[in-house]
Amino acid sequence: MKKINEKQMDQLLSQYIDGRLTENELQKVESLLSQDMSAQRRLKELKQLKDLLISKTKLTPDIGFWTRFSDVLEQPKKDENNFLPFKRKFVPVMSAAAAVVAVVVVILVFQNRIQLLNYFTEKSQVVKEVYEKNRLQGQLLPLFSKVDKDRALQFSLFGTLPFDDNSKAELRVDEQSKKGYRIEVGKDLKNKTKPITFDHFLAEVKPTSKQKQLIDSLLELTSRRIESSVLIGENDVVAIAPDFPNINKMMVTNIAACLEPNQRIQLERLLEANDAPYTISVQSGSVISDDHIFQSIPQSPRDNRFVIITPDTMMYSQLYIDFDSLRKQMEENFIAFKLRREEMLKRMMGKEFQRMQRNVPYSQPVQSFGNEELFNVEINVPAEEIDQQQMHVLIQPRIRKRIIKTTTPNHSIEMRVLSDTTSKDLSR
Amino acid sequence: MALPLPDAEWPSKNKPYQIGVRARSFVPSFTKTNDTSSMTNDQIQQKPGVEVLSKMDDEALITIFQGGDHDVYRFLVERHQERIRNLLFSIFHDRNYVDDLAQEVFIKAYQALPRFRFEASFYTWLYRIAVNKSRDELRKRKIRRFFSFQTLDEGIEKELNTRLSVQPEDRDTQELVALGLQSLPKKFRIAVVLKDIDGLSYEEIAEVMQCELGTVKSRISRARSMLRKALKPLLEEV
Repeated sequence: MKKINEKQMDQLLSQYIDGRLTENELQKVESLLSQDMSAQRRLKELKQLKDLLISKTKLTPDIGFWTRFSDVLEQPKKDENNFLPFKRKFVPVMSAAAAVVAVVVVILVFQNRIQLLNYFTEKSQVVKEVYEKNRLQGQLLPLFSKVDKDRALQFSLFGTLPFDDNSKAELRVDEQSKKGYRIEVGKDLKNKTKPITFDHFLAEVKPTSKQKQLIDSLLELTSRRIESSVLIGENDVVAIAPDFPNINKMMVTNIAACLEPNQRIQLERLLEANDAPYTISVQSGSVISDDHIFQSIPQSPRDNRFVIITPDTMMYSQLYIDFDSLRKQMEENFIAFKLRREEMLKRMMGKEFQRMQRNVPYSQPVQSFGNEELFNVEINVPAEEIDQQQMHVLIQPRIRKRIIKTTTPNHSIEMRVLSDTTSKDLSR
Repeated sequence: MALPLPDAEWPSKNKPYQIGVRARSFVPSFTKTNDTSSMTNDQIQQKPGVEVLSKMDDEALITIFQGGDHDVYRFLVERHQERIRNLLFSIFHDRNYVDDLAQEVFIKAYQALPRFRFEASFYTWLYRIAVNKSRDELRKRKIRRFFSFQTLDEGIEKELNTRLSVQPEDRDTQELVALGLQSLPKKFRIAVVLKDIDGLSYEEIAEVMQCELGTVKSRISRARSMLRKALKPLLEEV
């Protein structure tokens, strides 16, 4: 008889005890059992095993099963609440796939982290630029037509610049220390200075025709400088060149330099009577009667730098505006279309406005606080010191009757903007 | 409460019907047709009593169930719960877990019963559900073991060997048999449990496990062979 292996023997014996063998298989097994002791032992063990399994302890009937089961049946089935877009049996597969994808993404992100960081930084910068450009473009307007000769003189002598025809809102520059400036922008009826006209000036100082011509040219240049140094917009947005206060300082000394000493005395009286921020040293410096005097007028704004101030934020920025081109277009269009001046200016500023660089490397504002009507900002700007040698006539800050309360630190500019005054009055 | 008299077509003429309060008290409230208030008088009168229902075979009860009276499911559950619980107990050897699994099996059967086509007996059909449920559960446990870095099978074999190494009089035969079964791969374990503990025929096992008859024979043989080796000290003693 062909010898069978253990596996075959086990299978035959297993079916033997279950009575599942065919006639041939039965004969084969009986023959095997009669000859093979190990087969007999295996059969015995299999029978014992079967007996053990049959006699395995059974659970007793559970009479409370239905009661518990009926409670479960009444509960809403959790499995029915499958919110997944695939069958529950695919959860392990999908979880594994998601984990693999996550790992791949993490690896890719890690490998390209520098590029990604740069990309997002660049994009966020672009978004900021677009936002700020859109916010500022067409809103900030130069003070064209608002700075006539009288106002240029007013600013030159007293550091105040009326914004509207009624002189209710004005910008005031006031030096409080050798290195610091205070600039107030807003409506302040109590401290409002009395406007001085050019005629009033002529009547007081009595310049010669040559002196008058020279001062007239100086004031014309000052107007241009002021126009390019102060931009005012709606929503209380103001942009001022950081070195703007120097125009006031230099104009006082330049106008004094054009005058004879006795005329300077008259000028000093006028300044004192109107509580001007500077006092002039009457005897210092010679009289200048040529065009050389124009060279000392500061170029403003230096490097197109502006401090942009809104009620929410304050930032330094470089704004490129071609004022000469703008002024020319203004004149042409004003004649051609007879548009309202403000509307036209807005249109043109939208085209001309170009922001060159954000974040001019000045230190950030150190303090910003305020309320609904008044806010003060203290900022630090680099020293825009004027060389004393450039002063044809020495001037110094006046000890004034009307001392403006200040906590301004040295080397700072404080902006006080009274809301709802500048822009609304300006747009009338 | 006045109960309707039995109809002539039902055999227990001498006993009053027990439908009504008693019959309905066990019915899950969410079932659609458990409320006899929506039935016509004829339907109520045709509904058999508990005594009758309890004596009906599975197929008859299923016919009634499929006819819309889900109340009869109780009889099917009570009739088969012991076998199903024992099957699950033999496979998992976890008394606390058996009830939960058995409930899940009967819920599954309850949901599938309207589609029952009488091609197999109810209990083999129910066994198939239980076996599938057991397979799923064993697979889940295997996955859990994989993620918890456990090697439970090795733990069972170690436990079995430890218990077999004690003096014969100190051995707990039932516990050893259970551990022996636990050490088997699931397809062998389920096959041998169905054959030797539940007493199913080879054909029934093939139907329950949805495989060929030859496969069943092979699995049972392999399972017995493995068990024989695992429990050899115990068998020698016997």
